[in-house]
Amino acid sequence: MSSDLSDEQLLDLYRVMIRIRTFENGVKKLIDEGKCGHVSLSTGGEAVAAGVSAHLTAEDQIGSTHRPLGHLVAKGGDLNRMMAEIMAKSTGTNRGKGGPYHIFDKSVGALGANGIVGGSVPMCAGYALANQLRGNGNVAVSYFGEGASNQGGVQETLNLAACWGLPVVFVCENSSPEVQRMLGHEIDYPQLSIDNVGDRGATYGMPGATHDGWDVEKVYAVAGEAVQRARRGKGPSMLEFKIHRLGADEESPYCPVKCFRDRLMSRGVLTEGLDAEIRDAEANKVMEAIDFAVGSPEPELIDAHMGVFVEDD
Amino acid sequence: MPRVISYAEAVNEALRAEMLRDPEVILFGENVSSSWRPATKGMKELFGRERVRDAPITETAFIGAGVGAAVVGMKPVVELMLVDFGLVAMDQILNQMAKTTYMTGGAVNVPMVLRCIYGAGGGDAATHSETLYGLYAHMPGLKVAVPSNPYDAKGLLITAIRDSNPVVFFEHRLLGRMEGEVPEEPYTVPFGVANLVREGGDVTVVAAGRMVQEAAKAADTLKGEVSVEVIDPRTLVPLDEEAILRSVGRTGRLVVVDEDYERCGFTAEVAAVVAEKGFNSLKAPVARVANPNIPIPFNRNLERHVLPDADKIVRAIKSVVK
Repeated sequence: MSSDLSDEQLLDLYRVMIRIRTFENGVKKLIDEGKCGHVSLSTGGEAVAAGVSAHLTAEDQIGSTHRPLGHLVAKGGDLNRMMAEIMAKSTGTNRGKGGPYHIFDKSVGALGANGIVGGSVPMCAGYALANQLRGNGNVAVSYFGEGASNQGGVQETLNLAACWGLPVVFVCENSSPEVQRMLGHEIDYPQLSIDNVGDRGATYGMPGATHDGWDVEKVYAVAGEAVQRARRGKGPSMLEFKIHRLGADEESPYCPVKCFRDRLMSRGVLTEGLDAEIRDAEANKVMEAIDFAVGSPEPELIDAHMGVFVEDD
Repeated sequence: MPRVISYAEAVNEALRAEMLRDPEVILFGENVSSSWRPATKGMKELFGRERVRDAPITETAFIGAGVGAAVVGMKPVVELMLVDFGLVAMDQILNQMAKTTYMTGGAVNVPMVLRCIYGAGGGDAATHSETLYGLYAHMPGLKVAVPSNPYDAKGLLITAIRDSNPVVFFEHRLLGRMEGEVPEEPYTVPFGVANLVREGGDVTVVAAGRMVQEAAKAADTLKGEVSVEVIDPRTLVPLDEEAILRSVGRTGRLVVVDEDYERCGFTAEVAAVVAEKGFNSLKAPVARVANPNIPIPFNRNLERHVLPDADKIVRAIKSVVK
């Protein structure tokens, strides 16, 4: 589908997607080399993160999952400090105390990854509640997966957000669109009682729909409507995006990067030369982040004892 | 003449004062707009339905919303109609509310108060009568306040709301109508500072919440026979270990009283602190008077049978001073 985006806006979306993919490929390399522990990557979800976040400012908040890197990068998270957190360094976003499952970068409203499936969703209602009470027009976006969509807390929060008319957009990334899987394995019993999580929006009194999540222009268009609706005080919406969890390469027909690159090439917005330029620039940022993380010190042992509570003046 | 109001009215005054002082203080929970609940009565009328709002019966969602609102700097006071109902929201309380500050390396903090109505004695059986503060005190990152009287209820709640950390605030359901002297103006009672309820030289009784009244009754019963010191820690986290150790250092004997379950609970914690740091001053084994690890029974006689009271405390005191 085409959109009303200018060439520069299209290329901005593309840059963000390349940044996410390059950052995660960098993390994958570190994992393979044994330089960091387990990290759950979001490869294949770049279009969702980029297309949603294109509508958000640093004052808008997101809550994310245990596969948070794409969401955080798209929200403008500090690559150096994120990489340092992944490597458990003292310069990390969380000073090495949270790891990739719990990265927060408050300066850009990235509030936060979460190690509990569905755990961040009720908190997003709280971000939205604060926005509503302060009347600042800010919006919270709550990311979760199809597995989390069954969690009581997620369903409770859909209801609460609708009852209170909160400015929040629920974004479900369904990474098992054809065969239901859990942790990458096919499962004997389905975990979803319906085909489309998006259908659940209506049962909680909010718009809900299901879309292809590998088409960034589609994501951009529908997320724009949902974010604007929330910003105007019209309440929450639910968007489900079908995606495929992929490897580092760009071969799959469901690879959001490949789909978008081919389209931009055919429209003449992107050339081989420009593509290489964009990829080099993003690779440099990621290399800088890895250098920063590798060169950063470990936390001191005494740091383990600090920060259970905030000291009041 | 000093002014006398109830424990629930004292809570109400604290909420009112803080909401007047700070527009970022908000209140929500089940039925908080209701006029028949004295602790929150009149709040909606005064501050409007935006800042004082009823939540659906979904503790995970609304407690989590409190955590989120606190993360972005508001000061939510979230009410848990009964502490037992919080058991359906353990992730939001014990993971998100408690640990977010530490896990983010201080990038964010959670200035939230979770007000829990708790306690047995109403004949409501084990899902409507528990105490459970031991459960919350166990998790690093939560402060736990347990006011035993109207004065402390007002002062501790104001302290709790002004604290930059998450506080679980325990209001005993049977103390709601208890009356006491409470100043009209706002004031704070500091966390981690125990209250000396009765002075005495023969035995130290440490008790929290409603059990402070029972311990005081026991002390009065034994007047002339045993000189009983009663200490109310007022907050379990932080715990005023110094006050407890100082007292046991003088009396050499310790009885710990708690309405909560005995196993791995507040009584065990206080006994362990004294065993580790005050062992040499002990003249007798520590005695505990607590719920003997039994779910609160519905039948009133059975309920009384498992709960600590002044008579049981008297017997425990006699056993350690004999």
